[in-house]
Amino acid sequence: MATYLILCRSLTYAQKAARALERVGITATILRTPKGLSQEGCSYCVRVSERSITIAMTALRETNAKITRVYVCHPTGEIREVAR
Amino acid sequence: MIYFDSAATTLQKPKAVRRAVSCALVGQTSPSRGGHRASMTAADTAYRAREAAAGLFGAPGPEHVVFTMNATHGLNLAIKSLVRAGERAVVSGYEHNSVARPLHAVGAEVVVARSPLFAPPAAVGAFEAAITPDTKLVVCNHVSNVFGYVLPVAEIAALCRERGVPFVLDASQSAGLSEIDAVALGAAFVAMPGHKGLYGPQGTGILICNTDTVCPLLEGGTGSNGAHWEMPDDLPDRLEAGTPNMPGISGLLAGMEFVRRRGRERILRRERHLLCYLLSGLWRIPGVYPYAAENPEQQAGVLSFHVDGADCEAVAEALGRANIAVRAGLHCSPLAHETAGTRHTGTVRVSFSVFNKESEVTQFLAILEQIIKNLRK
Repeated sequence: MATYLILCRSLTYAQKAARALERVGITATILRTPKGLSQEGCSYCVRVSERSITIAMTALRETNAKITRVYVCHPTGEIREVAR
Repeated sequence: MIYFDSAATTLQKPKAVRRAVSCALVGQTSPSRGGHRASMTAADTAYRAREAAAGLFGAPGPEHVVFTMNATHGLNLAIKSLVRAGERAVVSGYEHNSVARPLHAVGAEVVVARSPLFAPPAAVGAFEAAITPDTKLVVCNHVSNVFGYVLPVAEIAALCRERGVPFVLDASQSAGLSEIDAVALGAAFVAMPGHKGLYGPQGTGILICNTDTVCPLLEGGTGSNGAHWEMPDDLPDRLEAGTPNMPGISGLLAGMEFVRRRGRERILRRERHLLCYLLSGLWRIPGVYPYAAENPEQQAGVLSFHVDGADCEAVAEALGRANIAVRAGLHCSPLAHETAGTRHTGTVRVSFSVFNKESEVTQFLAILEQIIKNLRK
C-alpha cells in the first residue's frame, strides 16, 4: 500500500499537522524529508497511510499547518508529487 | 534560608522541574536538527512547551510561542520589531530597564505616561493623553517589579486597539499569577521570563507573538529552510536562531504544568494572603513605611518598604546576615522609583512564591524589628 508524505515549512508546522491528524484519529509519523524532495533545505514531513490521506487532507485544510507539497510513495519505490 | 526574592528568580522549584532538567541533559539534543530519538524527543518537549504556553497565555497557536533567554530578550525582540529611531513610544511610569534601555538604544522618542502608585484610573488617563496619532508603540508592565502594583492593562490594551497602536505587555511579574490572554488583549507581543512565576530554570523565557512584524536579533541555523541565506519567515524559527536550551525548556514545561495543576488563581490568593499578613506586621514596626495598595486586588506578590533613617542596602544586608533574602536599591527600575518618589532612597523589596509560609513572614518581622533597633543604636 502507498504512503503519503506531507511536507511542512518547519518542524513546528509538521508537529502542528501531526497533532491535527491525531485529533481525527489518524496516526501520523514525523520524519525528516528525503533530501531529494526538500528543495528549500532540511525539512520535516508527516507520513500518513493511503487509507487516511483523504480525511487527513480535509483535517489539515482546517489547520494552518503551512503544507508545501504532498508526495505519494509507492511500494515500487516510485515517488510522485500529488499536491502543492 | 528564608527566600523572599522571587521577583528576581524563584529559588525553590517543583521537584518535577529538577527532574525534567536532568532528563533533558542526558536524553535530549536539538529539535529540528535530526530524525534520531534524542532530537525528536527534544522536538516533542519543545512543542509540548509551546502548546502549554499557548494555552496559559492565549497565543493564537503553538507556533506563536517563541523561546527566549529571559523577558529582557523577549522585550528587545518586541521593541526592536516595532519601533525605529525618532519614533514615538509610550510607556508606563513603572517600566523596568528591560524596556527603557532598548527604547533608548533604538533612539525612540520615549514618552512616559506617568501616574501615581495604585491609581489605575489615573494610569488609563495618562495613557489616553500620551497616545497621539504618531505613536508607534505602547509598552506596559503588568505588575511593577518594585511595588507589585497591578496596572490596568486590559483598559490600556483596549485603548491601543481603539487607536490602532501595537501594544506590548511585560508580564515578567504576572506570568503564572494573573490572567493573560494575548489574543483577547490584542497585544502584539507578550514577554515573560521562565524563571520567576513559571518556576522554570534561569535562562528561559517566552515571547508570545501576535503580529507578523517580527525582526530577528540573531541570525543563524534554524533547521528549516536551510538552503537560503535569509532567515525563514515563519514563526517560531524566525526568532529562534541557534541551538535551543532544551534543559531549560524541559524545566519550563514542568514549571508551567505545575502552575496549571496548582491553579494560578490559587497561587495568587496565597501570595496575596502572605502579603496582607506581612503588611499588617510592617505597619506595627515604628519607622517602617510599606508601599501598599488600599485595595489588595491592585497588588500582587511584591511589596516594597522604606525604613526611616536607614539605608535600604544596610537593611537588606543585615537581613542577609540573618539568612533572609530580599532585594534593596532601585531593582533595575529607576523609572518606577522616580514615579513613586523613591529614586533617592530606594526601597527594600519582599517578594513571594508559592513555596513561602506564614511562619517565614512571622520570623522575618521579628528579625526586621530587631535589625531596625540595632541600626538605630
